[in-house]
Amino acid sequence: MQRSHATNFWATLSRRELLRRAGCGLGILGLASLLAEEGLLEQPAAAADLGNRALNPLAPQPTHFPAKAKAVIWIFINGGPSHVDTWDYKPQLEKFDGHSIKEFDPDFKNTTGFFKNAVGNLMKSPFKFRPRGQCGKMVSDLFPYLGEHVDRMAFIHSGHTESNNHSPALFMMNCGLPRMGFPCVGSWVTYGLGSESQNLPAFVVMSDPKGRGLPKGNAANWSAGFLPGVYQGTHLRPTGDPIENLTPPAALTAEAQRNQLDLLSQLNKLHQQTYEAEAELAARIESFELAYRMQAAAPEAIDIDAEPEHIHRLYGIGREECDHFARQCLVARRLVERGVRFVQIYSGGMENQRSWDGHADIAGNHRQFAGETDQPVAALLGDLAQRGLLDETLVIWCGEFGRLPIAQTGDKPGRDHNPHCFSAWLAGGGVKGGVSYGESDEIGYKAAVNPVHVNDLHATILHLLGLNHEQLTYKYNGRRFRLTDVGGRVLHDILA
Amino acid sequence: MPVCKVLCSLGPWSSDAAWFSVRTMFACAALLAFHGTIAAEERHPSGKNGAPATIQVPADHAARMKAGQELFRREVRAVLVEHCLACHGGESVKADFDLSTREALMDSGMVGDSAEESHLISLITHQAEPHMPFKAARLAEQQIDAIRRWIDLGAPYDRPLVEKKDGAPAKAAGITEADRMFWSFRPLANVRPPAIDAADPHAAWCRTPIDQFILAAQRAAGVYPNPPADRRTLIRRVYFDLLGFPPSPEEVAAFVADPSPDAYARLIDRLLESPHYGERWARHWMDVARFAESHGYEQDYDRPHAYHYRDFLIQAFNAGMPYDQFVRWQLAGDELEPDHPLAMMATGFLGGGAFPTQLTEAEFESARYDELDDMVATTGVAFLGLSIGCARCHDHKFDPIPSHDYYRLAATFTTTIRSEIDLKVPHAAEPVKVQVSSEGFPHMKHHADARGYPHFYPQTFHLARGDVSQKLQPAEPGFLQVLMRDGKSPEHWRREPPPGWERTSFRRAALAAWITDPHYGAGHLAARVMVNRVWQHHFGVGIVATPNDFGFQGEPPTHPELLDWLAADFIAHGWQLKRLHKQIMTSAVYMQGNQVDAARATIDPENRLLWHRTPRRLEAEAIRDAMLVVSGLLDDRMFGPGTLDEGMRRRSVYFFIKRSELIPMMMLLDWPEHLVSIGRRAITTTAPQALLFMNNPQARSYAEGLAARAALRGADDTDQAFIDAGFALVFQRAATDAERQFAQAFLKQQSSLHAAAGHAADAARRLARIDLCQALLSMNEFVYID
Repeated sequence: MQRSHATNFWATLSRRELLRRAGCGLGILGLASLLAEEGLLEQPAAAADLGNRALNPLAPQPTHFPAKAKAVIWIFINGGPSHVDTWDYKPQLEKFDGHSIKEFDPDFKNTTGFFKNAVGNLMKSPFKFRPRGQCGKMVSDLFPYLGEHVDRMAFIHSGHTESNNHSPALFMMNCGLPRMGFPCVGSWVTYGLGSESQNLPAFVVMSDPKGRGLPKGNAANWSAGFLPGVYQGTHLRPTGDPIENLTPPAALTAEAQRNQLDLLSQLNKLHQQTYEAEAELAARIESFELAYRMQAAAPEAIDIDAEPEHIHRLYGIGREECDHFARQCLVARRLVERGVRFVQIYSGGMENQRSWDGHADIAGNHRQFAGETDQPVAALLGDLAQRGLLDETLVIWCGEFGRLPIAQTGDKPGRDHNPHCFSAWLAGGGVKGGVSYGESDEIGYKAAVNPVHVNDLHATILHLLGLNHEQLTYKYNGRRFRLTDVGGRVLHDILA
Repeated sequence: MPVCKVLCSLGPWSSDAAWFSVRTMFACAALLAFHGTIAAEERHPSGKNGAPATIQVPADHAARMKAGQELFRREVRAVLVEHCLACHGGESVKADFDLSTREALMDSGMVGDSAEESHLISLITHQAEPHMPFKAARLAEQQIDAIRRWIDLGAPYDRPLVEKKDGAPAKAAGITEADRMFWSFRPLANVRPPAIDAADPHAAWCRTPIDQFILAAQRAAGVYPNPPADRRTLIRRVYFDLLGFPPSPEEVAAFVADPSPDAYARLIDRLLESPHYGERWARHWMDVARFAESHGYEQDYDRPHAYHYRDFLIQAFNAGMPYDQFVRWQLAGDELEPDHPLAMMATGFLGGGAFPTQLTEAEFESARYDELDDMVATTGVAFLGLSIGCARCHDHKFDPIPSHDYYRLAATFTTTIRSEIDLKVPHAAEPVKVQVSSEGFPHMKHHADARGYPHFYPQTFHLARGDVSQKLQPAEPGFLQVLMRDGKSPEHWRREPPPGWERTSFRRAALAAWITDPHYGAGHLAARVMVNRVWQHHFGVGIVATPNDFGFQGEPPTHPELLDWLAADFIAHGWQLKRLHKQIMTSAVYMQGNQVDAARATIDPENRLLWHRTPRRLEAEAIRDAMLVVSGLLDDRMFGPGTLDEGMRRRSVYFFIKRSELIPMMMLLDWPEHLVSIGRRAITTTAPQALLFMNNPQARSYAEGLAARAALRGADDTDQAFIDAGFALVFQRAATDAERQFAQAFLKQQSSLHAAAGHAADAARRLARIDLCQALLSMNEFVYID
């Protein structure tokens, strides 16, 4: 588990040492029992040696079995990318262009998508497909850069979800249920594995910096739900201070703040003499030192100006079309390098023309958003690989659902939401390259062969991180919850 | 896969059909015990030489079976389900060993007449290969021990571990007498406080009957309690507990100097009459009620008139509203007291949940069932500490709550929707819009109205596996069978509307009557749950450590007799919360000090016997409110609309709770997400919290306020006087010599640092003082209350 060899306060502060520091150690035991009651310390076997998690909920935790991936970067293709226009080549769609979908599915309902009054006929992709890479994967001409990396990717073409509507589908993809209030994947992973970084948040989210808003459902998409709030995603704010409270008050120089913290520490230690048994108090004293270091580390981690010119060029920084996303991808790499566990970057903001939600003009919409992301994501894959980080970093390209193979009628035809089928790819972090798993039907309307439920995708992600999705549980209000609810199947066929 | 499901992550088998068709075979505990005996006897024929086996029932058989079943239900079932079932009768049957039913277990040959003779025990104790659970950690000693004792008692099941796949759905499952005798469901025990031996050196410690229960348990374990804390500690403790902020230095001084023996009792009486008491305790209840003021989901539209529910809570607590009435009004105030504005405001409870705004036609009906689920689940958890929501897709895995009961409860809310009505409320001159949950009023505006969202369906159906496409028969309103006694049916609680009343169905009035009826209904459990919540907020941990789970999977009470005594006393004295507070707070166990020693710690390291007081970290609201109070910045206006502005100076209970824009400062300090009921907040210690104290502009502004106030208060303009004033305001005590020295040295050094940074001498000195104040507000002593 130890990627970074830097001294981690929490990792080095052993239970024994805490017991020593804390006098007779009552506080630890007391807190451990409290956490056990609340479900923080789940496994009876683990409860015995997790004193440090009781004190620091982000302390690194053992995996259930050896992990392939140590970090995840999820490129969230927000709004719902059209699989038949990106990675799922459907020659039959060309052939049946203009036919009614009822020829294929007499039961098709006009309420399958979102707009029941704009239901058109089957529509071929406006994009050309050609074989790419050694594996000869047919890829749409939306992705000249990413097409170079298909031999690193495991494609899933039979994804399906449970809602035809953005925010429930976003919750489904992030939290495993189409409802609000449940912990998201990043929170589960942080809870399950803790943090490897001493100075940075374990789970970081970046949203659209171009003023197009947050994904539907907002921060609930990176919420810790009923898990303690410490596991929620840290949203790097697109403008101003990226993390709250990172800048000291204007009147305080660095030296003055250090002096102030020294006073605080002196006073706290005097107070602690009365409460030697309370380890929580010692933990809080240390948290100020940690904060002081974080204040310096966080800006450093996201300072892409420190990167050389050729790296900037590689990601496409400076190209107007993709500059913003290139910066976020480069930040993601720097974060992962520094031990951040889970990074999610949203491409696009809210719905319609602000994201991949191509209701109108699917050609223009996808051309735009593919253009914003193609070079940066391709650069990220290449850059991670050349640094030897791709093997242990799982990169995911996935949105909340797919789009229908029929046209959504309008001035320029678009495509409506499709919960029955979507495509995604995974790369690095223990997945096979150049493989495709599952198939949609001949027109790309529904998942047909080896359907992959969102729970299955989640089970596979957790598996790659060394976590058994059935064992990663949290007891809350009398029930034992898990990310995959009562489902989940690891997709062994795509594992390296 | 059903679109809406209820999470019960108990293993892959848990999504399947109901088990009650099997269960009806085991209609009562006696039958079950008998059945188990036959199976055992058949395996071990007692007759020799081929003589027919006879059924020999040992004299203590019934008692052993009962004890065995209780043990199974409490401890063994969960272990088997968790660690064994998936491979042995759940998903698959590995090694031909199936333990999903008792017959299968007994047939397997893995279990003998005693634990000693059972191969199963050899495997799980790793005395034989393969070690079980397979490729997983060894079970905890206490789990193994429970299985041992259970086998020694004959290994009885209360019901099979696996539901039979072809079970006919939506039949009423039988609730056994054993179910009804579970500690939280059974009637309140008629207990008397245990007598304490007058010769016991600690007998004089007891101040109230509560202390007799506490001391008796302590003495039995060999520990003894602490003497009372000093008066300063006590007054701070009661201020934070009842009001949520510290006393003024003058109040502390007066209390410390008050020679009268009833000074402490009078202090509590005074604080219970403070209007700030309601603000503190309303906020506790808002957690339980998952209250927020926006829809959540896509657009997260505001519910601008929802705050009246919060105002109802504050007024109800302040007015000393009996708890049973408090419960009834939240469920059915609109039916019981339609002319009373507070009763109407109280119904905001039901409409507090998150609800999608952007709905497509395909989602209308399942969304409504989700909404019914929110009302059922929150009602169950908040008032009864039960996870009724688990029974949405199948009978509850652990608690005696069949799916049938779930849908009958859901049917109670069939026609209940959110509305906004004009009401003349207290503290407002003109009628204002109030969000209520009722029936027959126009529905609140909804984003999907244009698409024809119907808001409710006239009939609620039993659903197979929680799936709206698998409707069974219509559900009639009803209650939990395990909490209906003496053969009473839901009819017993039916309430007739007044003549001419047509707007509502009076179903919720019946629910309210049942849930607060301690004789035949659920009132005794409701009392246990609330008494425990109050206890928890006074001690940090409840008598039941899982305040929202009084079911089989929750923690059992540490002091069951005390819990029942408190609950019975609570009911007998009119469900008076203020009386309960005083009862608890005047006890010696509440008043005691924090001394810890190794001898007692060895016996009870977790302090479950409450032999010492432990400092507790304040909640987000209390930390912020305390900063406002000591810095003199508090704006103490009550009631009315809240705000999202972090810079506001009112108490934190007046933040507007918008689900997509939860107040960042509060969130850092473990504010809940306000989506589901929270019985006990997590308490975390993190670096981002420290950054809040160090760098947040609001925190800095509180320090500025404190510095200005301390400067005014100081006897003169010296650093010494400033330091003393600061400690008095923040901690209501004098600084110690060591603290004074540190602070003085700091002010000197910090002033020169600021001067070196270019500030004039006056400004540098003022800044240094602000820096000192900020450090005081960041201290552990400020956020951990003894």
